[in-house]
Amino acid sequence: MFENPQVSKLFWFSMSIAYSFCFSALYTYSTIPEYLLELDNTIQVNLTMKLATVRLAIIALALVAYPIILFRFFKYAKYFTVALTAWAVAIYIDDYFVLSEIIKYPESQLISLIQSLRPIMIASLLWMSVELVFRPMAVD
Amino acid sequence: MKNKNVDDLEFSTILGHASDEHSIDKNYVVQSSTFRLTFSFINLYALILIVLFFIVKGNLVEGINNNFLDTGFLSVLNTRGILLFILLISLNIAAYFNSGFKYVCLIMLVYMLNSAIDNAVLFSGFMHLTDRPYFSAFSVTRPLFIIALFWVFIIHKDKKKSIKKV
Repeated sequence: MFENPQVSKLFWFSMSIAYSFCFSALYTYSTIPEYLLELDNTIQVNLTMKLATVRLAIIALALVAYPIILFRFFKYAKYFTVALTAWAVAIYIDDYFVLSEIIKYPESQLISLIQSLRPIMIASLLWMSVELVFRPMAVD
Repeated sequence: MKNKNVDDLEFSTILGHASDEHSIDKNYVVQSSTFRLTFSFINLYALILIVLFFIVKGNLVEGINNNFLDTGFLSVLNTRGILLFILLISLNIAAYFNSGFKYVCLIMLVYMLNSAIDNAVLFSGFMHLTDRPYFSAFSVTRPLFIIALFWVFIIHKDKKKSIKKV
């Protein structure tokens, strides 16, 4: 029923980094103290929190779906990983280059830490994509 | 005296060799007519969308709401237009060389979905369908473009087929 994905240890390491980051982001955004939001109750912060909620919902879905695709439908894992990597890069570009004048994250050290760790998560996802796309095909 | 047999042999050898290298036994992928039609639609739609981005950005289309661009939408349109153009060029290059088409298509699909979600979340409160009717028409029909991209991603043939020798 379940396939054994023959990937390197570096892949599992990258995957664990990506999962840790996603869980940390979920925890951080779901436990933001209310006084912080009331303190920064601007339109920009409200829009950012709205956008972050939608993104976190997609992340939660991806966290559940990824192991299923990796172990059950390994053939499609590379497409799913590439799509997730493209999305991670797209939202990073969006936040820093496209929507920089529109969105503003609440003043919190934990949020700043999570934001600064985003490139590491993108690098992990990139490695996972590269490994799945360029891995040698198994010969029967 | 001219040796006709030798000349014929030489010519046939040269032509045979040339045809071997350039026409017979050449491996390439023949995409379906549905693919070509959908791909043309994607190119046309994206090009019109990019042109429209820049027309709206330049305030060249009359709109009902004059404060439409004051909501920070201007910089978003600018960057989105450029990124979409780069992705469209990459998609065409990948299709021409038949290399990595599915991945570029997937990246473009994710990018379009993400920008659609961003627009829906961030700008739905500021803009209305009547602000810029031409622009709204493209926003409303964007799902068509996304479906077309997904369809092209599915029906694209990666593997090379041998063409029957003539």
